[in-house]
Amino acid sequence: MTPQERDELMAAVTTAHRERGPHGEIEGHRAFYDLDDPSRAQAFEQTLRLRALEAAANPTSLSTTARAVLARIRRA
Amino acid sequence: MDLDVHLAAIAAGDAGAFGRWLAGAERPVRESLRPFAVHVDCEAVVQETLLRIWQVAPQIESDGKPNSALRLAVRIARNLAISELRRKRTVGVTAEMIESVPEANPAEPPDPILRRAIEECRGELPLKPAQALSARLENGGIDRDETLAERLGMRVNTFLQNFTRARKLLANCLRNKGIAMEELA
Repeated sequence: MTPQERDELMAAVTTAHRERGPHGEIEGHRAFYDLDDPSRAQAFEQTLRLRALEAAANPTSLSTTARAVLARIRRA
Repeated sequence: MDLDVHLAAIAAGDAGAFGRWLAGAERPVRESLRPFAVHVDCEAVVQETLLRIWQVAPQIESDGKPNSALRLAVRIARNLAISELRRKRTVGVTAEMIESVPEANPAEPPDPILRRAIEECRGELPLKPAQALSARLENGGIDRDETLAERLGMRVNTFLQNFTRARKLLANCLRNKGIAMEELA
């Protein structure tokens, strides 16, 4: 895997979008399973910082994760 | 800060109150999953946990201590992560994973000065990285990156490269303003 491919997978994992499984459960992102352990740990920390940044930038202090959850609730 | 002040409204089905609870609860729930970060996709676990809190809110009873719903969320998150580990059978569940229940303190509301700094730094981003970052922020996790990329007329790889560039430029800009990205978490 090239550093660019790794960066792309890491960027992919940091999205708040997650698919639903056949039983309605929220599935892990497929890019997560292509990353090695150090990259997964780094992606976790990166996501933590991104969500804080998203919340800080949002008028209601909600990250994209929080908004994704609220959207699922409102759709249900 | 006691996030249980929102609990009665959440139990009554008030999604706005749940949003205010989420604003303080998401970060400690996510942080509690750090021991599992290399084994399970914590974003999926966080979202599943938060949805379950919404579903069980009418049954949550305070034990007299603050943040009973948040403490329950941390336990649910850990149990979901352990279940996922057992299902995948890729790694053993350690005693640390089972026993360690971190203290859960709600996140403080974001600083308005930080919000202004982020806005200024976003305004300095080149067009394509700015578009990729805005697409993610405005979409709020509804659509997959392939869809966001298509709307911008980018290939998904290009979209991800632009997003990465935006993240790094934003971090540099904030650092120049005396705000380290590490301090945001």
